[in-house]
Amino acid sequence: MSSLVTPSAFATEDVRRTLLDNGLVVLTKEVHTSPIVTTMIWYRVGSRNEELGHTGKSHFLEHMLFKGTDRFKKGQIDLITLKNGGGNNAFTSHDFTAYYFNFASDRWDIALEIEADRMVNCSFEPDEFEAEKKVVIEELKTGLDSPWGLLLQELEASAYKVHPYRNPIVGWLQDVERATVEQQQAYYRKYYQPNNAILVIAGDFDTDRVLANAVRAFSPIPAGLPAQPLLLKEPPQRGERRLVVRWRSKVPRLAIAYHAPEIAQQDSYALQVLAVVLAEGKASRLYQRMVEREQSVTFVSAEYGEAKDPTLFHIRAEARGNHSIDDIEASIYDELARVVSEGVTAHELDRAKHQIEAHFILSRERTLDQAILLGQIETLYGLDYIDTYLQRVAAVTTDEVVATCGRFLNENNRTVGRMLSDGSDQEEDELETD
Amino acid sequence: MNLKPTELGVRSFDVHSHVLENGLKVLLVENPSIPTVSLNASVMTGARYDPEPKAGLALMASRLLDEGTENRTSLEIADAIESVGGAIDADGSFERIVVSAGVLNKDVDLGLELLADLLIRPIFPQEYVDKEKERTLAEILSAKDRPQVVAGWAFNELVYQDHPLHRPSHGYPETVERINRNDLLDFHRQYFAPNNVILSIVGDFRISELLPRIQNTFGGWPAKTIVHPTYPSPVKQTGKRKKFIAMPAHQLNIYLGHLGVTRTNPDFYALQVLDTILGGGAGFTARIPQRLRDELGLAYTTFASITMTAGLDPGRFISFIGTSPENMKLATEGLVNEIRRIIEEPVTAQELQDAKDYLTGSFVFAFESSPQIARFLVHAEIYKLGFDYVEKYPEYIRAITIEDVARAAKMYLDSENYTLVVVGPVGEDGNPLDGSK
Repeated sequence: MSSLVTPSAFATEDVRRTLLDNGLVVLTKEVHTSPIVTTMIWYRVGSRNEELGHTGKSHFLEHMLFKGTDRFKKGQIDLITLKNGGGNNAFTSHDFTAYYFNFASDRWDIALEIEADRMVNCSFEPDEFEAEKKVVIEELKTGLDSPWGLLLQELEASAYKVHPYRNPIVGWLQDVERATVEQQQAYYRKYYQPNNAILVIAGDFDTDRVLANAVRAFSPIPAGLPAQPLLLKEPPQRGERRLVVRWRSKVPRLAIAYHAPEIAQQDSYALQVLAVVLAEGKASRLYQRMVEREQSVTFVSAEYGEAKDPTLFHIRAEARGNHSIDDIEASIYDELARVVSEGVTAHELDRAKHQIEAHFILSRERTLDQAILLGQIETLYGLDYIDTYLQRVAAVTTDEVVATCGRFLNENNRTVGRMLSDGSDQEEDELETD
Repeated sequence: MNLKPTELGVRSFDVHSHVLENGLKVLLVENPSIPTVSLNASVMTGARYDPEPKAGLALMASRLLDEGTENRTSLEIADAIESVGGAIDADGSFERIVVSAGVLNKDVDLGLELLADLLIRPIFPQEYVDKEKERTLAEILSAKDRPQVVAGWAFNELVYQDHPLHRPSHGYPETVERINRNDLLDFHRQYFAPNNVILSIVGDFRISELLPRIQNTFGGWPAKTIVHPTYPSPVKQTGKRKKFIAMPAHQLNIYLGHLGVTRTNPDFYALQVLDTILGGGAGFTARIPQRLRDELGLAYTTFASITMTAGLDPGRFISFIGTSPENMKLATEGLVNEIRRIIEEPVTAQELQDAKDYLTGSFVFAFESSPQIARFLVHAEIYKLGFDYVEKYPEYIRAITIEDVARAAKMYLDSENYTLVVVGPVGEDGNPLDGSK
C-alpha cells in the first residue's frame, strides 16, 4: 500500500501523559487551530461492571452526575455551561462512562472544578433520584420503540451467556425500576475514584499552566481501593444460536453476531479490514451483491468495534420488498465462503486500508473528536495502540483476512437474530379533527 | 487559515469569492490545520419545486447522480473515491441538492473531477432508476416503523396544507411509482447549470493553485436560463388541528406547533434568543426541558424551536415530547403552558443575558472543521448573511432586548391556533391507551 500521509499525523507524540499521586491519569494535547478547549473525564466503569439484577447502574449514575453537588446545586452545571456559551454531555458504554465540556479557550477552567467536585460530592437527593429514574425509564422505552434497538438488545442477550456485555447499557426495565439511592451511591463510591479515571484536555491552552490547575483541582481527592478485575469470561460458543423477535413491522430485519477478539489482538486488525471489504462503501462486496445485483436489501452493514473484552462482529441487513429473509441470509454466508475459498484481491485490500486510514484522519478535526479518541483508547488499552494502529492495519495481509474470516465468521460461532412481523400489520387507525 | 481572534474568540477567515464566466459561484477558504479538503457543490433546486404528482423527483435525482455518468459507471465512481479513502455523497433537501466530497489534500483533483462528472454528466441509467424507486419505496415502509418519523410527516401535512413542504422530500409511494427516467433527465436539464450552483471548498490547499484547476474542470460548462417555479406562500392556521395515529409502542410521540419563519426574517435573531430560553440552549436550562424533563421527569427527549427549520420557505415552530401514555395530558398541557407563558409574560433580564451569552459564546463551535465552514459559506451566500457574519453575529445577538423577544413571541408563536399530532398508544378519541406493547 502506498503511504498516504505523514505517519505522525495523529501519533501521540504531542500528547503528554501525567500520573498524579492519587492515580489520576491526565492526558493533555495542545491544538491551536480553534480557540476551543475540550475537557473530558473517563471512568473505567460501564455495563460490563454490573451484576444481574442491578443492570443499568453505570448509565443511571451518568444521569445523576448532572443533578448537582453541595457546591454546584441542581441545574448549576447546565447553567454554568449556558452562561459560558459552552456545550456538555456524557455517554456510557459497555466499558466506560465519559463526560465532556466544550468551552471557548478563555473560560474553560470551570470544567476542571466541576469534574473534580462531582467525582466525590454527587448529591443523590432522594426526590431528584426518583424524578431522574422516570427520565431514564423514558430513555429506555425510546430504545424499545426502535426496531434495531430492540433486535440488537435481544441478539446480544443471546450471543453472550455469561459475560455482562449481554445486558443493555441502559439496563433491563425491572432493574432500573427497582434501583435504590443507597445501591446507586455505593456503586458511585466504588468506581468514581481518581485512580479509576482519566482526565483528557485537548485544545487551545498552555500545557504547563493547565497541568498546574489540574493538580490543584484533583490532587486533594484521595485514591480509593483499586477496582477488582472482572473475571467473567464468555465460554466458547459451540454451535449456531438462532432467535426470532416478533414485532409490529412489515419489514423483516436480520442481525448476525460473531464472537470476535478484544482490542489490539492480532486478529482484530484483520477483522477491521474485513468489515470494510465486506460492507463499507458502494464498491464493497455485500453492497455490490445484495443492494446492486440481487436488490434484496435496502442496506447491509458489517461492524467490528474495539472493546476491552472479547466482543462481537455484527452483520446487519434490512429486507427490501418481498425478498426472502432466507435468501438474504444465504447470500451473506455465500460471500463469506467466497472470501475463504477465493481470498480478497490486492486492490480490495488496498482500498480497505486507504478507507480506514483516511477515516482515521478525516474524523479527527474537532478537539472533541481528538479527546474522545485519546480517552477511549487509554481506557480500553493504552495510547501506544494509536501510535501503532495505522502500521498494524497496513501490515494486514490477504492471508490474514482470509484466515480470520474462516476462524471467526463461521456457523458455529454465530448468533442469528431475525425481526419478523407479529401479524399486527394492519394500517394505522387515524383520526383527524380541524 | 488567517487566525484573527475576535473579541469572543471566534476565528475569522478570509473568504475568496469568485464567479467564473459561466456564472459558477466559487467560495474558497484555506484551512491547513489538517491535510484534508472538503468540497461542497450546492445546486439551487430541491423538493420544494417537485410537481405534486411526482413528489420525490428532486431527491431521487440527487441520489442517482453517482450511479453513472458519461465517463464512469456507478462502480467506477465508488471505486475511484473509495480507493483513495475519500467519500462522495449526493443528497437533496427541499431547497438544495448537495454533492459533497471529503478527500485527503493530495486527492483534491480527483474530488473536483468527480464532482464535475456528477453535476454535469449524469446519465440516470434506467436500471438504476428502477432500483432507486424500489429502494425508496422500501425505505418509506421501513421509516413507518419509527413513531417519531410518522408524527413528523403528519405534522407537516397539517401545518403546510397545500404548500409543497407538506409532503416528505422523498414523496409518497404512488408519486415515486410515477417518476420515470425522462422526468429525471428533464429535471437535470432544467436546473443543473453553473449559474445555478455554489461551489465551496475549504481545506489544505493554496487558492492560487486551486482556482485555475477549478476553471479547467468547470469552465466549459455552459450557462443557461433557469426558471424556478413559483407557488403561493403557506398560510398561518386559524383554529386547532389535531391528529391521533394509533401505533403499538411504549411511548407517545407528540408534536405541537405551527408555521414558522424564513431564515431571512428580520426577527430571526430575536427568535434564536427566544428558542434558547424556551426549548434549546445548553443541557436542560431552557424552560420546556427544565420543567417537563428535569422537574416532572416526563421525558428523555423534549425541546422546542422555531429557528431550527427556517429556510428559504418558512419553517415550523415545533415543540416535541416523547413520553409514556399516562403522561399525555400533563405533557401536552405543559408544552402549551410554556408557549403561552413566553407569549404573555416578558422573559427576565437574567434569562435574556444568559441566552445571549450562550449564543455568542457557543458560536465558535460552528466553525471547527472544514466541512462545517464549507456549509457555512453556502448558507452565507443563499441567505445573504455576508462573509463578515462571523464578526457581525455577536452584534446581532447583543442588540436583542426583552421587548424584542416579547414582540417576536407575540408575532410568531401561538398557544391557541396550533397543530397537535400524537403517534403511539393513543385512541381515536385522543385518549391514551395502555402502552405495554
